Amino acid sequence: MDIRQATIDDLIGMQNANLLNLPENYTFKYYLYHALTWPELSYVAVDPRGRIVGYILAKMEDEPSPNTEPSGHVTSISVLRPYRRLGLANKLMKQAQEAMVAHYKASHITLHVRKSNRAAISLYRDTLGFEVHAMEKGYYADGEDAYGMRYMFNKKSEMESSS
Amino acid sequence: MAHAAPKHRQLPDKESKLFRELLTQYELKQYKKGIKAADTILKKFPNHGETLALKALTLHSSLPEPLTVSAVPKKEEAEAMARLAIKKDITSHITWHVLGILAKSRKDWDEASRAFAMARKQDPDNIPLIRDSIALLTHTRQYPAALAARHHYLLLRPQIRSSWLALVIAHQLNGDLEEALKVYDDYQSTLKEEGATGPEKSQILLHVIRICIEAGKDQEGLDKLRQGVRDGIISPRGECTLLKAQMLANLGRQEDALQTYQELLEQNSDNLEYYKGYLKTKGIDLNVELTDESRSKILETLSTFAETFPRSAAPRRLALDYSTGDKFRELAKAYIIKGLERGVPSLFVDVKGVYTDSEKMKVVGQIVEDIVNKLEQDASLGDDGSISPPTMLLWGYYYLSLHLSYPLQPLPNYTRSLELLDKAITHTPTLPELYMAKAMVLKRSGDLLNAAYEMEKARLLDGQDRFLNGKSAKYWLRAGEVKKAEELLAMFTKKDLTPVQDLTDLQCLWFLQEEGDAYRKGGNLAMALKRYQALVTVFQDYEDDQYDFHTYCMRRMTFGAYVSLMRYEDQLRSHPAYFKGALAAIEIYTQVFDDPSITEEKISPEEEAERKKQAKKAQKAEAKAKKAAATSGEKNDPVVPDSDPTGIQLLKSETPIDDALKLWKPLERLAAERVETWLSGYEIFIRKKMYLAALKSLKSSQSISPSNPKLQYQILHFHQITSTSSEDIPQSIKSVIEKELPSLLTTSPDEFSTSLVDKANTPEEIYYAAKGLSVISPEGKQKIKEVLLKLGDSDVIPHIIYMEKSLTLLQSIAPEDVEEVHKKYRERCPDAWVFVSPSEKEEKRKGYESGLEGFQGEQNKEDEKKQ
Repeated sequence: MDIRQATIDDLIGMQNANLLNLPENYTFKYYLYHALTWPELSYVAVDPRGRIVGYILAKMEDEPSPNTEPSGHVTSISVLRPYRRLGLANKLMKQAQEAMVAHYKASHITLHVRKSNRAAISLYRDTLGFEVHAMEKGYYADGEDAYGMRYMFNKKSEMESSS
Repeated sequence: MAHAAPKHRQLPDKESKLFRELLTQYELKQYKKGIKAADTILKKFPNHGETLALKALTLHSSLPEPLTVSAVPKKEEAEAMARLAIKKDITSHITWHVLGILAKSRKDWDEASRAFAMARKQDPDNIPLIRDSIALLTHTRQYPAALAARHHYLLLRPQIRSSWLALVIAHQLNGDLEEALKVYDDYQSTLKEEGATGPEKSQILLHVIRICIEAGKDQEGLDKLRQGVRDGIISPRGECTLLKAQMLANLGRQEDALQTYQELLEQNSDNLEYYKGYLKTKGIDLNVELTDESRSKILETLSTFAETFPRSAAPRRLALDYSTGDKFRELAKAYIIKGLERGVPSLFVDVKGVYTDSEKMKVVGQIVEDIVNKLEQDASLGDDGSISPPTMLLWGYYYLSLHLSYPLQPLPNYTRSLELLDKAITHTPTLPELYMAKAMVLKRSGDLLNAAYEMEKARLLDGQDRFLNGKSAKYWLRAGEVKKAEELLAMFTKKDLTPVQDLTDLQCLWFLQEEGDAYRKGGNLAMALKRYQALVTVFQDYEDDQYDFHTYCMRRMTFGAYVSLMRYEDQLRSHPAYFKGALAAIEIYTQVFDDPSITEEKISPEEEAERKKQAKKAQKAEAKAKKAAATSGEKNDPVVPDSDPTGIQLLKSETPIDDALKLWKPLERLAAERVETWLSGYEIFIRKKMYLAALKSLKSSQSISPSNPKLQYQILHFHQITSTSSEDIPQSIKSVIEKELPSLLTTSPDEFSTSLVDKANTPEEIYYAAKGLSVISPEGKQKIKEVLLKLGDSDVIPHIIYMEKSLTLLQSIAPEDVEEVHKKYRERCPDAWVFVSPSEKEEKRKGYESGLEGFQGEQNKEDEKKQ
């Protein structure tokens, strides 16, 4: 599968993949907001027919407080069920992370995950190296709690931020 | 203040003070107070235009979103008041501004843009007016006017960075790249002070480099890029380096360009554009017929990359596209073995890209057959004695089943496909993919209901997976089970909305299309049209969504993304989803035009009963709401309900062909390269008696696809219509037709039609040859029937859709022959759901239903065992 930076032309396809795969959905304008604010951060996986089969929709924390380091955030990541076992999520995540560091000097990246979504938690923790750093009560529209997960781009900055 | 206000605008001190308060109250969103203040002024000065305007604006802003029932008359009042305000004071910027704001909120961009232009005439240096105007002018693609406004803005605000940069973009959109670059240079020499953030500077510089490339100034762009990277303004990751590679290639610096593509591949070795760019720079044009020499060059390069990037499938997959013969066999085998070992479900979708080459399709089939045969005998595949994973055989069966039933296969073997999947299921009964594959094979064989039941099994194996849920819903829709599908979809949609409402709000295109298709197949054209129109509305929303970004992107300085947005929106409706939905809706409109009686509802007794029940329910709910509203004041004010819940008003359009034309218009420009656009255009224009436009459609179709079967039929149809209704056609048009038609209709109509019949081999050709016959000699029923029977011959690929169309055609010409033809089709496609009689359907359904129950029983037992 082709993996490349998402462009405006890809947003409808990303919206479609998101609606097929995940219960958290957004209208088109929210995708536009991402692409027109942080154009380098979102990536897509595309099948030979040009269909978007996986994507990562990513952003930076928009208004960081003065003394914190820039932080990236994954709004949504998903790979259509038939396209699993190709390591696409891993590749998409890696591309987005490198872009966050290169273009925005991000020190770490965060994301939210449903407390009940064991498969996703294990992907983020075991495959992608994230750690749970917070629990957010009633984060989702239906009242479910979210885990806040975080991945430090280098351990040095982690020590700095915890000291 | 240059001029004193005209007399009719002046207010005494007390009212003048109130007027200023009104302005503040509006800005502070104190709408109730504002309206009161306005009313006080209007009591004494009922003709004061600016007060009327501000009252209209305040009232309008106070309305709830979404609009509720009680707010509807207030909205109308506000709109009328804003128009009245203009009449009372036509030279006020306030009255025009308010009219513009109200039009903008209706998303009537054209009217808004006109009103803002009028307001600016009255108050040329008003900054907020200019800002909104620029957005509107850009939105409505009035680029020269937008540029002028930008220029004006810069003169008023020369010290602001974004007014310079926005002018650069305005020049670019207006097509003047030289001037864009010049303004950028002026800006750099004018505004020296720092201030932009790092990411902003990077966005600005990168975009200027893009403009250089567009203007053909590669050397200038390259210099700017080098400098930017050296200064740490832009990161060499991603797009920056791609632009560098492209500029180097344009400048003929091949070695440097290749080196740069190599760097890109090290950043992302799964990006196909990088590989293709590398090969192109090496002098290999992938878009022309390849020579043996360039083939081996490509394969050599790809094989080096495959070694450098072992974790990337891209170079190995690309090699399958460019290799032939034994080399292909060798590479494909290695690729497939790797995929089967890892159990990659998408292997078939990935590899079937090469199936457009029928020789390659055959070779792949042999490779997989071999693997499966060997693994059935022995767990070891290679000569090295290594043991293959036990799941490999399973994925082999899976691949082979999809391969054998693939629509490009000359003789699809559904039976064997299903047997293979059953073997795989015996091996591993809990893998949803196997049931999904079974459903797909059954769908291809035409057995839509059985397919839905199999997909439902897949869904039951993992009820938490939305993908399986949606697939199952889609299969139920294909089988015509709308209600069942909606019940399933509701498991993942908002609980306080119907699934249809939620999926519409979320712009779920696939659902709107599929449910529209399901209704259409089931004969409910009104609901079908309603869904298609909802899909069309989603595209209108996509277009309207860009509005806020005209201002936003100038502030965020994301110019590159913004310019792509503008270009994207310009061709938005070339998107396949719009194309498909619009064409389907157009077909319904033409049907309605041909036979308005189909808009009279024919509903079954069950539906009738259901409707009565719903109506009663609605009545009750309404009464309850009224009662609640009476006791709790305003609180229970429902949102304005859908005024056409059954779609019947849409279907009963007085102007079906104009409605169709409106949907078609964007395709004329945006999908002009697709023959379907012109085939559809013909059907509209011939009904509108626009003979020259119809002729143009035929000629456009001919230039895209001269042998298109439907086009051949339309040519005959055109001849027939224009020769039989010739007294209605003006002489000038007639003479054009006489001059042009012979290039389409090259022989006499009879000969033309006969030759179509003789040459017809594919299902589409056969159907349209018969349809052509029915146009020129409807009395030749026997001949038409003979042609249509060919669709059931064993040497013609079975095609259920054309068989169905054929039966409909025959029904209108020779209903007495339908049974005979139906029988032959049924024998050819024994599983096709559409040919099954109602009683048989019931019988089959019972069988599938009990099969599903059995499956669920097994599942439950398994679950109990686990616990």
